[in-house]
Amino acid sequence: MRRTARLLTGTALAVAAVGLASPAPAYAGDARATGGLEVRPASVVPGERATVHTTACGEDGAAGDASAVGAGEFPLAPGAREGETTGGFQVPPSAQPGTYEIVATCGGSGKRVAGDLVVTLTAAREQVHPRGSVKTGVGGALGSDPVQTAAGVAALAVAAAGGTWLLHRRARGDGI
Amino acid sequence: MRRVGNSAIAAVTATALCCGVWLLLDAAGTEAPPQPSAAQARTGAGRAGQAPAAPALPPSPPERVRIPAIGVDAPTTGLGLTPSGSLDVPPPEQAGLAGWYEAGTTPGETGTAIVAGHVDNAEGPAVFYRLGALEKGSVIEIDRRDGGVAVFTVDAVEVYAAKDFPDEKVYGAADRPELRVITCGGAYSRSTGYQGNVVVFAHLTGSR
Repeated sequence: MRRTARLLTGTALAVAAVGLASPAPAYAGDARATGGLEVRPASVVPGERATVHTTACGEDGAAGDASAVGAGEFPLAPGAREGETTGGFQVPPSAQPGTYEIVATCGGSGKRVAGDLVVTLTAAREQVHPRGSVKTGVGGALGSDPVQTAAGVAALAVAAAGGTWLLHRRARGDGI
Repeated sequence: MRRVGNSAIAAVTATALCCGVWLLLDAAGTEAPPQPSAAQARTGAGRAGQAPAAPALPPSPPERVRIPAIGVDAPTTGLGLTPSGSLDVPPPEQAGLAGWYEAGTTPGETGTAIVAGHVDNAEGPAVFYRLGALEKGSVIEIDRRDGGVAVFTVDAVEVYAAKDFPDEKVYGAADRPELRVITCGGAYSRSTGYQGNVVVFAHLTGSR
């Protein structure tokens, strides 16, 4: 356990010292280890708070920028976990769903780290509901094809003409 | 000579008569999509008598929608809203494609998930052509991206006029996982198309 803690601290310091150039193999792929900015929770609904965490800034603190989502700037301070700098901001209630880049600039090194904030509308209370009916048909299944209707009328006209002709012949006694 | 002429005229007349009647009958719209009967309407009894609700699932987007009772097994695409705020629809030329409102609830999580699809397009019947024939108690299955299947049971099938559409009933929030499946329906007029929507109300009754 103590070894793990030392490893964590060591990793954090290494990352703080040389930044992205030295990814820690033990945590490859993790935002903390690659010197990125981790945003929690993974997705937020408008009006909720999000927190950001990074080990890229060591003990120096940092300046956060969430203006992409309309939340402005916020401070990051060394957090409960050794080597980690954390901060938080409120996602504006008017925020649209989407992915926003949140940026933090380390106080000491001036190093810039970024992470993604995902805003969703999944919480029922914040959902934008559709309004009105849905245009999901044009009547194509009704088969009311104007060309077909015209053809039908034309065929009946031919039949009527033929019938009239036959009746005429019969009336004239032309022999049927 | 005259006799042959008469026979020819009679034959042509008879053929033309049959063709004309057939063409007109076929074009007259004997194939209107089925519409729900009054027996499938929402009852005043609320949830009494409905199948017990299953626990909500974590959010996961839908991949396919299956309604065995009416032979539907269709992929789903994400839908947004039109500038007027109504639900957008899948591309009409892809008649076999259904859609879901992706800024809303995913099918299986708590709230009202919305699935919509065409009843027909210019070519003929589309994915939800027979939706109006669905009955209470029928099963709707949604394949989810997380590999699970959300199973919904139909509570009611309604048809609502577009000019007086009950937004809250259809799209409003729910305190349990619910599903709406929407397509065009109601009376049809050549100038304005279908006059409303068939709306299927269902709630989550299982998962696997």
